[in-house]
Amino acid sequence: MRHLLLDLDAPLMSFGGDLVDAYGVVRDFPAKSMLAGLLANALGWERHDADAHAALQARIVMGSARVGEGQRQREFQTAQLGANDRGWTTRGRVEGRAGGAETYRSPHIRYRDMDADARVLIAFRLNPAEVAPDLDTLAAALVRPERPLFIGRKPFVPSRPLCCGITEAETIPAALVAGLAMLDAPPPRRDTLRAQWPVGEAPDAALVSGAQEEELTDERHWPSGVHAGLRRVMQGRLHWPEATA
Amino acid sequence: MTPETTETKMLPKFIQIHFLAAWPGALLNRDDAGLAKRLPFGTATRTRISSQCLKRHWRMADDRHALHELARRHGVEGVRTKRAIEREVTGPLRDRSFTKEAVDAVELAFLTKFYGKNAKDPQQRQALLFGRPELAWMREQAERILSENPDAAAAKSAAEVWIKEEKANLNQLRDQNVLAASLEAALFGRMVTSDTRANRDAAIHVAHAFTVHPEQAELDYFTVVDDLSRRDQGDDAGAAGVFDTELTSGLYYGYVVVDVPLLVSNLTGCVRGDWAGDHDRALAAQVVEHLVHLVAEVSPGAKKGSTAPYSRAELVLVEAGDRQPRTLANAFRDAVALDDRDTNHSLGHRTAGKLAGYLGQMDRMYETGEARRHAAIDDLALGKDIPNGSIRELATWAGGLVRDAAI
Repeated sequence: MRHLLLDLDAPLMSFGGDLVDAYGVVRDFPAKSMLAGLLANALGWERHDADAHAALQARIVMGSARVGEGQRQREFQTAQLGANDRGWTTRGRVEGRAGGAETYRSPHIRYRDMDADARVLIAFRLNPAEVAPDLDTLAAALVRPERPLFIGRKPFVPSRPLCCGITEAETIPAALVAGLAMLDAPPPRRDTLRAQWPVGEAPDAALVSGAQEEELTDERHWPSGVHAGLRRVMQGRLHWPEATA
Repeated sequence: MTPETTETKMLPKFIQIHFLAAWPGALLNRDDAGLAKRLPFGTATRTRISSQCLKRHWRMADDRHALHELARRHGVEGVRTKRAIEREVTGPLRDRSFTKEAVDAVELAFLTKFYGKNAKDPQQRQALLFGRPELAWMREQAERILSENPDAAAAKSAAEVWIKEEKANLNQLRDQNVLAASLEAALFGRMVTSDTRANRDAAIHVAHAFTVHPEQAELDYFTVVDDLSRRDQGDDAGAAGVFDTELTSGLYYGYVVVDVPLLVSNLTGCVRGDWAGDHDRALAAQVVEHLVHLVAEVSPGAKKGSTAPYSRAELVLVEAGDRQPRTLANAFRDAVALDDRDTNHSLGHRTAGKLAGYLGQMDRMYETGEARRHAAIDDLALGKDIPNGSIRELATWAGGLVRDAAI
């Protein structure tokens, strides 16, 4: 099976988790919705093309590995909101802000987590593979995207081409291992890397160890714009293969 | 993949702006503890300026390259953008089965709503810049009215009734699209509502700027002296307060990428895929020109009164192309040493050298072939392969790429 590899490298990146109040937390591995959004962005789809986004997300089978762990940072932000901020809508009604006068007395405080100096490798395939857009279309779109790409949030622009290549592999962990050998300027090698892959793939102990099942809500329900459902994945350690001389 | 190295084949879909600027002894952007924002990166922790902070200062700038200054000038000169309703809302409906009279009636109703009594003469219209979301929605509504009311008189009254019913929403739509607000929204985005069809995405992506070298921080101790205290009348020595604050010095690398199709779409209302078609790109070109100046000349920062952080960039590199935009941040992943006893070259010189070297390696590896120009002081110049001129020449070149783009 053909897998497309993405090399996510940037001074700052974020894989959004469940936002609670003013705290925007991140996860260790990219969400399926993020990958779908990233690819849709490269293809130039509009944000409101919900059906196309949903169909692409449903076809993605993915995993990822933290090639560079980096350091988690908490960004402090303030935003000045106005009680009179308003916007027209295609629904024919003006939308504004709620809340009493006290709400606007001081700036809105937000905390946004992010990973500094991390590097993450993604491997994914499409199921079914033959439907449009296929892997080759996506690879080409990443090289010459319709829009600038970003990793999590708009300021987090990549510092190298994201598209790392296509590889043949039986499973996601095998594709990730193959991807490690394809990295440009790879970081100092470690024996194992933290990784995430779909349940049911790679029981092979030569590839992975310490696998534990996790449940995630990382698929977006595109028509309503919220995340929903439950996806089961494995998290564990991926073995960096011995170099073959 | 065939390498594309000639400038003629290059499509300026993305304009990437890189800068090096030094701000000594300043507190440009701080966290909730009052300390400078930081970034652990590669071999050292750096001082950082968030994208939000940079964008705010570019947005609020009040100089000759300010966006509101551009709006003021364009409000007088720009005419084609005042014809957006004829071109983009009712124009496309004229090829359909509707009668000319019915389309005319609906067009006049829309024009009168948005331009008031001066609607008939485009020259006299107030400068409104409708973006793609606004025009697409208005066209949908005009089409619906015409489909339901084929007769000209019926279409006229249906349009008037609809405009009356939607009064608040349409007023809001108009108010959001006065020129200065539109220019800001075209570049920096506008996300007020939950309606993804009505919001406007920002046409620029701004990376957090960070120092190319390890952080250099100093705790500045200061006292406040009470000038009115009189020791002869029993007052104390006169210190009314004792404080400290963190100041940092740094040579920062910053990166901005302009999504040119989106900028043109935001300013003309065209479909983004059609950005290089027959649309008036003069304003988009001017916005890019102004942005190059703003990036080079506007300082971010708090404590302006006590630190005067008014440095300008010493190197600005602009690239144009259609390959995936990327920062050159990794050129500084190994932090640049603050001094170098072997060569005695300045920090700026060695930093520019690292940037040029890294760019050369990326070119060899990916053969991306972006067109490039830069403006730099002598010490930071990037070498003969990349034309070097003034900031004004650089900005004009970048604007020209947008104006003259053709697919």
